[in-house]
Amino acid sequence: MEKQTIEYASGNEMAVFAVKQIGYDLMGYYPITPSTQIAEGLDALRAEGKTDLCMIPAEGEHSAAGICYGAAAGGGRVFNATSANGLLYAMEQLPVQSGTRIPMVMNVVCRTVSGPLSIKGDHSDLMYLLSAGWPILFANTAQQVYDFNIIALKLAERVQLPVVVAYDGFFTSHQKKRCYRFESEMTVQQFVGKKQWSRSLFDFANPISIGAYMDSADIMQNRYELHSAMEQVRRELPEISASYEELSGRGCPAVETYGAKAAKVLLLFLGSSYETAKEAVDAQNRKGTPCGILTVHCLRPFPAEELAAACRDAGTILVADRQDSYGAGGGAFSIEVRAALQRYGILASVYNIVYGLGGQDLFPEDIQKLFERVLQEGRSQSGDPYHSGTPKRKLHEGAPAGDLGYYGICEGADQKEEILKPYFAPLLPETTRIGVTRVQEENGRLIVNSASLNDSVRMPKRLAPGHGACPGCGIVVNLNLLLRAIEDPVVLLFQTGCAMIVTTPYPKTCFKVPYIHNLFQNGAATLSGLAEMCYRKQKKGELPPGDIVFVMVTGDGGMDIGMGCALATAIRGHRLLIFEYDNGGYMNTGYQLSYATPKGAKSATSHVGKEQYGKSFFQKDMAQIMAATGIPYVATVAESHPADFIKKAAKAAWYAKNEGTAYIKALSACPLNWNDNPEHEEKVIEAAVNSCYFPLYEIERGKTTLSVLPDKINKKIPILEFFSMMGRTSHLTQPQYAALVNTIQAEIDQRYDRIKVRAGESGVQQEKVDA
Amino acid sequence: MKEERLPATNENGYYEIRLESIGGLGANLCGKMIGELGLRYMGHNSAGFSSYGSEKSGTPVKAYIRLCSWEKEIHVHSPVIHPHLLAVFHEALLEKGNALEGISRDTIVLVNSEKREDELRGHYALCTDHVYCVPAQQIAMECGARINMIMFGGICRLMGLRDCQKADAVCQDTLGKKYAAALKKNLEGIHRGFYEVQEQMEGTVQKDNDNHGIEKESIDTNEDVRATKSLPGGAIPWIGNSVVNDLSPSRQGYFPLFLPERCIQCARCDATCPDMVFQFQEGTYKGKTMMINKGLDYYHCKGCMRCVTICPVNALVAAKESEYPDKPYFIPNQEMLQRPAYYDACGMDGYITSESFLTEKRVDGGEL
Repeated sequence: MEKQTIEYASGNEMAVFAVKQIGYDLMGYYPITPSTQIAEGLDALRAEGKTDLCMIPAEGEHSAAGICYGAAAGGGRVFNATSANGLLYAMEQLPVQSGTRIPMVMNVVCRTVSGPLSIKGDHSDLMYLLSAGWPILFANTAQQVYDFNIIALKLAERVQLPVVVAYDGFFTSHQKKRCYRFESEMTVQQFVGKKQWSRSLFDFANPISIGAYMDSADIMQNRYELHSAMEQVRRELPEISASYEELSGRGCPAVETYGAKAAKVLLLFLGSSYETAKEAVDAQNRKGTPCGILTVHCLRPFPAEELAAACRDAGTILVADRQDSYGAGGGAFSIEVRAALQRYGILASVYNIVYGLGGQDLFPEDIQKLFERVLQEGRSQSGDPYHSGTPKRKLHEGAPAGDLGYYGICEGADQKEEILKPYFAPLLPETTRIGVTRVQEENGRLIVNSASLNDSVRMPKRLAPGHGACPGCGIVVNLNLLLRAIEDPVVLLFQTGCAMIVTTPYPKTCFKVPYIHNLFQNGAATLSGLAEMCYRKQKKGELPPGDIVFVMVTGDGGMDIGMGCALATAIRGHRLLIFEYDNGGYMNTGYQLSYATPKGAKSATSHVGKEQYGKSFFQKDMAQIMAATGIPYVATVAESHPADFIKKAAKAAWYAKNEGTAYIKALSACPLNWNDNPEHEEKVIEAAVNSCYFPLYEIERGKTTLSVLPDKINKKIPILEFFSMMGRTSHLTQPQYAALVNTIQAEIDQRYDRIKVRAGESGVQQEKVDA
Repeated sequence: MKEERLPATNENGYYEIRLESIGGLGANLCGKMIGELGLRYMGHNSAGFSSYGSEKSGTPVKAYIRLCSWEKEIHVHSPVIHPHLLAVFHEALLEKGNALEGISRDTIVLVNSEKREDELRGHYALCTDHVYCVPAQQIAMECGARINMIMFGGICRLMGLRDCQKADAVCQDTLGKKYAAALKKNLEGIHRGFYEVQEQMEGTVQKDNDNHGIEKESIDTNEDVRATKSLPGGAIPWIGNSVVNDLSPSRQGYFPLFLPERCIQCARCDATCPDMVFQFQEGTYKGKTMMINKGLDYYHCKGCMRCVTICPVNALVAAKESEYPDKPYFIPNQEMLQRPAYYDACGMDGYITSESFLTEKRVDGGEL
């Protein structure tokens, strides 16, 4: 046995240890709870020079998988981690990788799949992966996360397949436990060995072509080889596991059991529930019940033979699914168990039950109840639950035989009377058409007659108070400024992000107007569909005529992962308004860098340390990218200039009603993660405008006009002055970052100059805007 | 390492601790330190986790720690329902919510409170024979330590430690490298918490365990979290029902005090307020008909003070919560069709929880 160190660590932390010690070459990733901590932990090590892992932050999981595919095809050791809808978004890429036999390791930190959005753990994401051609190891404990990650890489390279290590979100990923890790990285590196790789894409003397088009005979052959590689895992895994066990004392058995020997009643669980169930089994065994539990650590290939052998003595089996394959009579796990038992002629009565969805807690008492439930079922069905035999099952209508349905459903709406009623009158068109902000077209130009801020207070707010945003959050400030300028009825679509989470914590909603959420790859497309349906119904007379403004609200994160979708929507030219609140990071998940994060800023995935200064590339200029689609209206707005904001919002709404897509971007303060004082946010935003980090301008039917010229009114400040106001960038004031700051300043100036050139002489004669 | 005796264990062999706190008071870190203490310095096996959710100041946070003998593996993943030791990081948590869930006569309860044990019993239904009070906030102010460290010191004593050496070592492991400057103050905080509890433990023998008429043997665990049925797919028809949320606990000791005689009706406060707090009505100002600022709905004010900074005439100023238990110009949201039943009762009372933040400063780089 090799020397090991004790850690008090979570599953995600143990994954970080494993990745570091293995010495991976590259990680392509996109943050998604609960897997994000892995990338964060590795970036922190990187910043301190403790790993030289190359980390590439993709703009979405699909690209992250692509980055990993390319890097793995390049012959390096490659790692990824994801969860939930992130896994589903990457899914298209995964069979490509197994079909072309490019090994790597991906951790799937299991979380329930949306929609209704939820971050908590169940297995509904992982079970989509069963047919992807990736071997899947399921770790039940933080310790196994570490062990299986090391085993997985060796396995992947042995069978030339990408491998998944899965574990429970939060239960395993976040709970800290006693764990052991090898003291020396050498131990790990010697175990995994040097990578053998012959298919080089860098060998110009022997160039190869990967990924040719195939027809049926070759596809059959390709799939057969994939099938055979998967079968090979059945032989390789025990061998690799045994050699790992020699080093560590721990292995990766395909099937594991606990409890009474030759148990007559068996409960089957995947993941952390298996561990929890041990407590309940101990209690049952103390009472003399001949029962046990079983788990499967290797979901692919499914260890049917080992499973059947372990179930040989059981009379009654209950398979607990933390996922439902709706309409299949249970989740994927129970269906596979049933198939395996049938294959090997096991005659036990098999029941399945769905539990623990969306991370619903499972207490040892719950498992006691499951034992009692299945014993009772066993008695009523076959007389003796402890002995196998031909169960007396009746053919009956309703659920498939043995399907015990759901465990833990508890509806109790009546307790919440206080919440379950409307608190506001609906905002009808006549309520909001108050005539304070009017837009007219004169000689091809839009003229906005907007009154004072005081007058615009008359506009009823579309959002009710009570949202859960952090104190001083800029998002709602910006939303309120935007919506007070729009007097027509609005339909809102929020992409996933802080604004969505804080406004609609079920069963509560802030909205007084129609609202829909969709995931942030797809908000713009969804809203184009929604808007077109409304316009069609209006045209056909199924809905009353009248202007309606469709507004999509997104963070800068949504404009990373959803940029392609938003650009395509703009190019198609649907009549809708896209509003981006740019707080420069993925704040909803704990501030990982976004493409809009300032260069040099620290974040959870761009730590500052001796080897790293923060984010390594410049902030994305989304307004200019949007302008390139040729939409009629693009503008930037800031809360520090409210009158200008309201005018632009009114114009954008006019274009969205009459001409096509309009886009507005606001720089939005995030006191929590900018690490500044909420009461000063308006000043920070003003500094962003005055430093030209965030120039205020509009592009109306192709014509650029600057709204504020800080240089002309003696207000221009160096970028460092803006950066020094936020904790996330204040380190850049230190002398060692002077050269970096100069390059940032040069880029900021160049971007600003470019807008000025586009604006030309006429466009820089600014109208009077707010002081 | 010699395994220290655990003060108690349940039928599954665990000694269980629950921390009840509010986001920002550092219960998460305290829980981690207890786990490390058990594993690295007391010879136990340990496991721990926190409730996962918002990190926002003012949000309730729970942390759970289980300890058991070194040989035993910790299998359970569920929250601690019947703790042996319950530490309440803020007295206000005793008032509402489920901080006392699952306690019995044997549960040891440690409360951050300036009250004495008997005073505390007079206020709350503490159905246990073992209550200890540590004025953690006051100590924090005196020695510059974080509240969680003082609580940690007290918890260590209640876990059966005889001196502070091991607690100090954990603190050094945790803060030493990253926050070397804060270490000394926090070590003092740990000691103060530890010996405060020790004194009370020594006094326990003479104490008569009169429960002041509270007869309960134990406090039942709440029923399961219930699901709410709405329209198919979870669509919500209840317009703006978020308004029932009391956001005042987010405030950090100060609130914006309105001085209407100074107000020039520029309405910039309304534009900068993220929480729709300001209540304007049509009226006359200097002979002109316009919207007039009538007051604030403090029920939704999170105390960000944006309005105080933006007000050009100081008609809004920062004032200490405790000096204004009744907020002048408190006007409930005017657009509401009906008021939630408990609206008036707790609408303005943010200071109960928010006072503690006066001395709490978020340490650069995250929760300490």
